[in-house]
Amino acid sequence: MRAMSIAATGMLAQQTNVEVIANNLANMNTTGYKQQRAEFEDLLYQNVEMPGTATSDSGTLLPSGIQLGAGVRTSAVYRIGGQGDLSSTKNPYDLAINGPGYFHIVEPDGTDAYTRAGNFALSPQGQLVTDQGFTVAPGIIIPTNATTVTVNSQGQVQVTTPGNPTPNTVGQLELTRFPNEGGLQAIGNNLYLETASSGAPQSALPGTIGYGMIQQGFLETSNVDPVNEITSLITAQRAYEMNSKVVTAADQMMSTTSQMAGA
Amino acid sequence: MDNTLLISLSHQLAAIRSMDVIANNLANVSTPAFKRENVKFEELVAQLRAQEGDTSPQPVSFVQDKGVVRNLDEGRLERTNNAFDLALNGPGYFVVQTPKGNQYTRNGHFTLDPSGQIVTENGETVQGDGGAIAITPNDGDIHIAADGTVSGKNGQIAKIQVVNFANERMLLKEGSSLYSTTQTPSPATGTAISQGMLESSNVEPVVEISHMMEIMRAYQATASLTQQQESLLSQAIEKLGAPVN
Repeated sequence: MRAMSIAATGMLAQQTNVEVIANNLANMNTTGYKQQRAEFEDLLYQNVEMPGTATSDSGTLLPSGIQLGAGVRTSAVYRIGGQGDLSSTKNPYDLAINGPGYFHIVEPDGTDAYTRAGNFALSPQGQLVTDQGFTVAPGIIIPTNATTVTVNSQGQVQVTTPGNPTPNTVGQLELTRFPNEGGLQAIGNNLYLETASSGAPQSALPGTIGYGMIQQGFLETSNVDPVNEITSLITAQRAYEMNSKVVTAADQMMSTTSQMAGA
Repeated sequence: MDNTLLISLSHQLAAIRSMDVIANNLANVSTPAFKRENVKFEELVAQLRAQEGDTSPQPVSFVQDKGVVRNLDEGRLERTNNAFDLALNGPGYFVVQTPKGNQYTRNGHFTLDPSGQIVTENGETVQGDGGAIAITPNDGDIHIAADGTVSGKNGQIAKIQVVNFANERMLLKEGSSLYSTTQTPSPATGTAISQGMLESSNVEPVVEISHMMEIMRAYQATASLTQQQESLLSQAIEKLGAPVN
C-alpha cells in the first residue's frame, strides 16, 4: 500500500522539523545565532488520469483527473537573518553589529570565515581575536600600554596611551555582506563560510548604506523566539503522530486483506 | 453470482486509493500552500442479462474513483519574519521560470541566488514585470508592498507578477509546490502580498483522520461481505454437490 510509504515520508519530514527546533532551542543563548526553519514541499505526482483530457468527442473535459501524490520532502533548512537583541556587557572587546553584515575572521589555515558573534578578546600578542583565538581581519594590534580602547560605530579602533591625550587610531574594522546570506555555510563556532550559492563577499565600512553599525560593549543575542519554537514543536509532534496513525490504519487494512484470504 | 465479489473488489480498490490521498494530505500538513485533496467516487452501472422470471435486466453498481479534487481554500497565514517569505492573500499564483517553461506556485518561500535574484528553494527565478528580479546589497532592507512592488533604499526595483487562471482546478501538479498549465494566465485582481508570512497548508487534520477511520471501517465491512459471500458459495457447493442417497 502506497499510504504507508507516504506516511513514512511525512514522519521523516516532521522528524527533521523537530531536530531543527531542538537546535534552535539549544542555541537560544548563543551569541549571534540565527534561527533556522525547515521548509517542506510535496513530492512528484503520478498521473493516473490527466485533468483536462477529453471525455467525449463533443469536447467535454475531465474536470479534475486523478493525480496521486507520493508524500513530502524537506526542501531546505534555512536561516532567518533577523536582527537579534543587543545586550550590554560593558566589555570593550564585545562588539555587536546593529544591522546587516558580518565580521571577517581569518582561520589559522588562512581560510576566510564570517561571523556575527562579536565576543572578541586579545591574543598574547595583543591582537584582536575571536574566543577561538582566530584573527579578526585585518589583524588589529592593541598596544600593551593602552589605557582605553574605543571602537566607534564606523568601526574605527582608537586607543589612548599614558602621557598622550589624543586618541591614536590603530585599525579599522570592515563589515562584509553577501548577495545571498542564506547560502552561507555554517561550520559551527558561530562561523560561516562563503559558498557558490552565497555569492562573492563585498566589504565596506560599517555605517555605509546597506551595512550595519558597530556597537561597542554589546553582544547580539540569538534571534530565537522560544514561544514560537515551543508552539512549532507541539505542531510538529502532533503532525508526526497523525502520520503514524496513517501507518496504523494502512496496516489494519492490510491485515483485513490477509484475513480475507484465510477464510 | 460473482458480482458480489467483483463489486466488493471495486470498493476496496477505491478505498485503498482514498487512503493514499489521505496519507499524502497528512504528509503535507506542514508544506506551505499545500491544497488538500479529496477523492470523488462515481457509480458505474452495469446491466446484467435478464434471467428467467425477470422482466427487465438487473442493474448492478460498481464503485469507481473518478477524480481527485483539490480544495482551493486559502491556508492560514503564518508569520516567519523572513523578508523573502511572501503569502498571497486572495486568489492567484506566483510565476516561476523553470527549465520546462513558466510554472506557478502559491508557496512564497523565496530566497536570493548568488547574483542577487529572487529564486525559489530550487533556484528557479521568480518573475516580475520585467522578468527575473535582481537585488543588490546596496538596496538595504527590501520592502515588498501588498501589490507586489519590490523596493529598497534606492527606490522601486520591480513588481512581482501574480496571475490567475480561468479554471484553477485544471492546473497540473508538478511536485515541489509547482503547478503547470496550458491556460493563459491573466493578472490576478484583489490579491494582496504579505511580506514575512507564509500561507500554511489547508489540510485539516481532524477531517483527514476521521475520513481515514471511515474508509478503514468501510474497507473492513466490504472485506467481511466478501468473506460471507465466499462461505455462502462453499456451503452451496457442499450442500448441492453432496452425493444423493
